[in-house]
Amino acid sequence: MGKKKQKLVLPPELPPEVPDEEVEVSDEDVQFVKENLEYAGFVSNLDTHSITKHVTRVADANEEALESLYEKRLKKKQENKEKEQNALEVDPVDALPVKTLDGQLYYRRVAKEPKAEEGSKEGESISKDPGLVKLTKAEKRAKFKKLRKEAKKQAKEEVQQTPQAEVLDEVKKDLTAEEASESKKYKLAELGTALLADPESNIKHIKEMLEVSKDGDSAIVILGLKSLLAVFKDIIPGYRIRLPTEKEQEMKVSKAVKKMRFYESTLLSAYKAYVQKLVALQHQTVYKRVAVRCLCTLLAAVPHFNYRDSLLAAVVKNISSQDDVVRKLCCETVMSLFTNEGKHGGEATVEAVKMIAELVKAHNCQLHPDSVEVLLSLSFDEDLGKPENPDVDSRAKNKKSKKRKGSDEPNHIPDNERKKVRKEMISKTREEVSADFKAASYAQDPQERRRMQSETLSAVFQTFFRILKHAMQPGLGANTMPGASGSHPLLAPCLNGIGKFAHLIDLDFMADLMQCLRKLAGSGIQSGDLSENSCCQLTVSERLRCCIVAFKVMRNNLDALNIDLQEFFVQFYNLILEYHPGRDQGEVLAEAFKIMLCDDRQHDMQRAAAFIKRLATFSLCFGSAESMAALVSVKHLLQRNVKCRNLLENDAGGGSVAGAIAKYQPYATDPNRSGALASVLWELNLLMKHYHPAVSSIASSISTMNTSNNQVYHSHVSPQQAYAELSQENRSFTAPGDIKRASNKRKKGNDSLPIKDGSDLNLMDQVDENEVRKKLTEHFLLLRDIQENEKLRSELDRTTLALNLYEHYKKQKKRKTR
Amino acid sequence: MRPLDEKETTLVFNKLHKFVGSNLKNIVLESQSHEGPDANPGRYCFRLQKNRVYYVSESLIKRATNVKRDKLVSLGTQIGKFTKAGKFFLTIQSLNLLAANAKHKVWLKPTSEMSFLYGNSVLKGGVGRITENIQVNDGVVVFSMSDVPLGFGDAAKSTVDCRKMDPNGIVVHRHADIGEYLRMEDDL
Repeated sequence: MGKKKQKLVLPPELPPEVPDEEVEVSDEDVQFVKENLEYAGFVSNLDTHSITKHVTRVADANEEALESLYEKRLKKKQENKEKEQNALEVDPVDALPVKTLDGQLYYRRVAKEPKAEEGSKEGESISKDPGLVKLTKAEKRAKFKKLRKEAKKQAKEEVQQTPQAEVLDEVKKDLTAEEASESKKYKLAELGTALLADPESNIKHIKEMLEVSKDGDSAIVILGLKSLLAVFKDIIPGYRIRLPTEKEQEMKVSKAVKKMRFYESTLLSAYKAYVQKLVALQHQTVYKRVAVRCLCTLLAAVPHFNYRDSLLAAVVKNISSQDDVVRKLCCETVMSLFTNEGKHGGEATVEAVKMIAELVKAHNCQLHPDSVEVLLSLSFDEDLGKPENPDVDSRAKNKKSKKRKGSDEPNHIPDNERKKVRKEMISKTREEVSADFKAASYAQDPQERRRMQSETLSAVFQTFFRILKHAMQPGLGANTMPGASGSHPLLAPCLNGIGKFAHLIDLDFMADLMQCLRKLAGSGIQSGDLSENSCCQLTVSERLRCCIVAFKVMRNNLDALNIDLQEFFVQFYNLILEYHPGRDQGEVLAEAFKIMLCDDRQHDMQRAAAFIKRLATFSLCFGSAESMAALVSVKHLLQRNVKCRNLLENDAGGGSVAGAIAKYQPYATDPNRSGALASVLWELNLLMKHYHPAVSSIASSISTMNTSNNQVYHSHVSPQQAYAELSQENRSFTAPGDIKRASNKRKKGNDSLPIKDGSDLNLMDQVDENEVRKKLTEHFLLLRDIQENEKLRSELDRTTLALNLYEHYKKQKKRKTR
Repeated sequence: MRPLDEKETTLVFNKLHKFVGSNLKNIVLESQSHEGPDANPGRYCFRLQKNRVYYVSESLIKRATNVKRDKLVSLGTQIGKFTKAGKFFLTIQSLNLLAANAKHKVWLKPTSEMSFLYGNSVLKGGVGRITENIQVNDGVVVFSMSDVPLGFGDAAKSTVDCRKMDPNGIVVHRHADIGEYLRMEDDL
């Protein structure tokens, strides 16, 4: 109120030198205004704008008389109005200034005008405010609220009527549409560069840019969105903006802080509008990709900033989009979120994982595999999992205190008591200090991080288990989609994930998990046994994956107890038969060979023999890459199980080791019951004649391993490597002419020597080639000689025959003539 | 010598089923003996002789009928005994049959083999390896690390619980072990 009075009274007698502090409002006055609030009502109707203008004029020309000033005032007012209409077209309501908590006045007009004017105006208003007397709190708050509301409304209205826009409108009439858009582009560019050059003073441009991007022309909108993205990416600060509370706003702050607050709030509101717009635009097909790209880039660049959750929600929603581009973008963004946790301190990770879990739940596990694949890029700090030193410390402290208590009680010395109190005081203050330090220091509390990590983990495993459970539900998958792989799209990445995070699974879940995997791995067989339609059909690859995951889980968790996964071996044994080279993934099969057969240290002799036999049979009928992988694992098994080398001997029956089953039963489902030791690996002989040189060579190397030879071969090639090598080679391996190259490659692989012998090999190659050429020419020369000889001989024969005939004829003729 | 009656058969089969599970049908139906002069191989059957149950091939049974019942000491492979109270228990001689068809197995570390052969239970510290998915009270066959069957018993803990146990806890309660061939030579 005092302020208003001051405004009324001051203009005539205000000399610039008079410091505002000297103006005092008496208590009576204040009392009066308080009692007669209605009287103060007129204040709100005042055209403060013009008043201030007037005041400034007064300040400029302080020598003039009061009366003349009042005369001038009217004129100036009119002039001002005219001016404003030209420049601004502000309606009278808009002329009201916005007053911030500290009593600083902002003119709406200023906010929209170039910065040059703003500076001076701001200076004026600031120069005045120390003199302002506070309003009562309640009133002030109410007024402030109203003002802000108005300001917001105005901002929206006004934005549409910015002078530039009007000018542009006029220009538009003259220009063609293209030129208009061109000019808009220029404007965008100008605004953007201005913003980037000095964001603090040019922050208002951001609203204009927003305005431009509301244009009807989609190209302009896209450009606007993109340039805004660039601007935001650049000017968003490295911290989260917290708008000042009302209490804080009431406090007096320095000029710099005020400016900063204004900047931050403007930025924040613009950012909010931008994000909302993006979220809205992504539903329109035209803008979808642009909007999603903007969202993704924003999320990746500034995950710490405000409105992260709406960004995240939008991105996660698109993670299983039908559009490949959109999905890939979103997945990459989420992955980058997971991998660069330092940017946001892990909070975004927790949120994102939770959202994905929700998404999976909402869509009943019918999503694109990518949406779960992203979880694989999560990383967990394992040291955080353990309780750290603090616990140990506290325990030690407890012990100590206990001990001390124990020693105290029998003695009961008052001195000790005092000491204790003092010690407690000391420790208390120390704790306080450390707490303060923690709050102040930027480093994250390990406990907090541990909490977040456990939350993330629980969400991840919730997702995984949900998918597993869904896969177990009978009939569902088969009904929805006929394609076997389509029915459980999420299963494969889910299994991969479980395999990756196997070491983090709680032991309590383990039993259920294994049960689940066992069921899934055996689903094909069960459906055959029980009823055709009751159980879901998983593909061979998926079931193989189940086996692999079970082994991984066991391996990672059971250092103490070595558990034999008998049932999974049985499943695997039968799955090998169902494998089809074209349909199923060979990589998975090779991985299964590696993990189940090569890495497992102990095997039953019977089981190992059964697998050896089956793999050998298997490699007869499948592609070279698969058979190579199979043979490599056969070799591993034979090296490890000396007794199984009986299979290489030439007499069937197996002798003493054959066990209870006297005859090999190829159709047995249980490897232990197959009696494979009674058989002979005759497959190797056939494989030695395999068209692929690598396969034939490994087959011959296996068959030369004999029972007496206990020397350990170290072959470094794992089945996976072998598979990968050959499957790559297969693409180029077409003509038999390539044999030499292939065999060279094999040599390299088997020798596993460094590449230095590459040149030697090349040399040898050339030598070989020359030799071969020579030999071939000789061969063909010989062939040609033979052919020519034959031809000549036949000619000779013919001529001799003809001669004979002729002589014969002559003789007969002579006889006749006689 | 006579075939088992119905009650006895269920007792014997129940006991065997505990150890071999669904492999029981291998033992009873599918295993074929190649003994004797017959062209087609016969099956194996169970016969009771003086309270002991024997697992005998059909051709042997035919020939054993030539021997008087009270003079017949043994035939085929003994697998168990009926007690006076009518209960059936497996004896150590059945080990080979069980080991070939076992569902649940425990492998002993070399250090604890001897302890088991002296008639002690299997402790967790002595387990070198264990099949997954063993439930409490399942029949378990005990092997040495080199796959030699040593005996059999009852699971005291499931595989999952084994993990959390301390090393001195009992994993398998012993029923029979091959040490009995020396210790109880007269009773067998």
